[in-house]
Amino acid sequence: MKGFLDYVDKDSILHRLNPLIKIFFSICICIAAFISDNYFFLLGLIAVDLIIGLMGKVFDRALSLLKGLVKISIFFFILQILFVRTGNVIFALPLGINITEDGVLLALKIVLRLISATMPLALLVSVTQMSDLSNVMVKSLGIPYKYAFTFTTAIRFIPVFSNEMSGIMEAQTARGVEFDTKNIFKKIGLVLPLCMPLLISSVKKINSGAIAAEVRGFNLRTRNSGYKSYRFAFRDFIGILISAALIAGSILI
Amino acid sequence: MIEFKNVSFSYDSKAKEHTIKDVSFKIEKGEFVSVIGSNGAGKSTVSKLINGLLKPSSGDVIISGTNIKTVPASRLSKEVGFLFQNPDRQICCDTIKKELSFGLKLAGISEEETEARVMEVIRDFGFEPDTNPFLISRGERQRVALASLIALRPEIIILDEPTTGLDYNECTHIMEKVKELNSVGVTVFMVCHDMELVLDYSERILVMSDGKIICDSVPHNAFRNEAAMKSACIIPPQIIELGIRLKNGFESADTTDEMASLIAERRNS
Repeated sequence: MKGFLDYVDKDSILHRLNPLIKIFFSICICIAAFISDNYFFLLGLIAVDLIIGLMGKVFDRALSLLKGLVKISIFFFILQILFVRTGNVIFALPLGINITEDGVLLALKIVLRLISATMPLALLVSVTQMSDLSNVMVKSLGIPYKYAFTFTTAIRFIPVFSNEMSGIMEAQTARGVEFDTKNIFKKIGLVLPLCMPLLISSVKKINSGAIAAEVRGFNLRTRNSGYKSYRFAFRDFIGILISAALIAGSILI
Repeated sequence: MIEFKNVSFSYDSKAKEHTIKDVSFKIEKGEFVSVIGSNGAGKSTVSKLINGLLKPSSGDVIISGTNIKTVPASRLSKEVGFLFQNPDRQICCDTIKKELSFGLKLAGISEEETEARVMEVIRDFGFEPDTNPFLISRGERQRVALASLIALRPEIIILDEPTTGLDYNECTHIMEKVKELNSVGVTVFMVCHDMELVLDYSERILVMSDGKIICDSVPHNAFRNEAAMKSACIIPPQIIELGIRLKNGFESADTTDEMASLIAERRNS
């Protein structure tokens, strides 16, 4: 899933869609995922996410995102089925742990929701430039630039910190820290002491970023400073209709 | 000893072209070898292949008789020390003493031995043991990172652009310490963009371009290999450049002192 939040510069209908509609569309999919209790509808939402990937010419990324989320979901699924005790027992494990029908169904619903609600937000940033995202938040939603900038910077910094962490892990491996171990629990234990160098380098990066923004007149920026205008086209209305249909579907099905 | 046998490497297994292409060379114990070339030539990749952080896609990397494919990188740390360009990625403890002990503890060295080695390095470098390494200058932090390698007493030291961003004084401190280690038999493999530094300290130069070694020679010859310099987009140190342009015997000068004595000789004759 490396670089899954980077913008992919391609020409597709999703790239051309108004950024506001893209935000609206992604939020609608998330809401639909949390409203619906129907397993098939949730599976349908995952299919919609994949179609978004296909239409945005980022299908490979959508697939790798799906694979990554499935791996995380396995962990959640196991955790859920171990702790839900209501419903008919499917089979009993030692130490009084029972796998129940309710547990399996609830776990399935949670992981389907997790996958269907996470994918659109990650795909949104793959087909939308960060500057467009913050501009449209300021111009169309009236959010103060400081907050819009904070939001987009937080997203932009995720891959930066991920790279920094890889660099730190590489440097520590070279010193003898066993990050190349196959034992995942040992690895987690080794990562914790590295929060210090990561924290320090993050603070340094953020501080230098803040100074750079400050000297370029960050505080002088007003709502009208962005030169781009985001007009609505026919395709944007189609986007609103699909979003509304998804919400309606989640309530009705 | 470091030996590369037809090593190719690619970061992306699906990529058509390798980052490192069929590279072979051998470095004997105690040599000081520098690798030079433009950005993206594969210098850092080669250095990471030496300490096992990267494993070759094909071919073999042999370090002191061990094929790195068979050993995890963390196990090689006792034999191969790696000084990164950015010391902040290496430093993770809140005092210099703890920082220097960190690698030794990981290597399973006894407490008494760790204490003795750490105190020896602290004395040698003139550090204050309880100083927070995050609160000292960049050059000092680089020295702490180097000291933590030295405490492990590795047979090989890899320096990946160790003096980037350091002033002359800090740079000299680092390089003199490296030279001292080299003089007692530690093999040094340095990736560097500072040609003056390469000329001053290296015994041998590997010139890299587009993932291949295009020249493997002593500095005197390597910097005079016009085709290699051009291909690797390298400008030789100014004193060599001046000698080449002046010709008439001046091209043999490698240092300012040599050039000065040549000029003095001509003036007197």
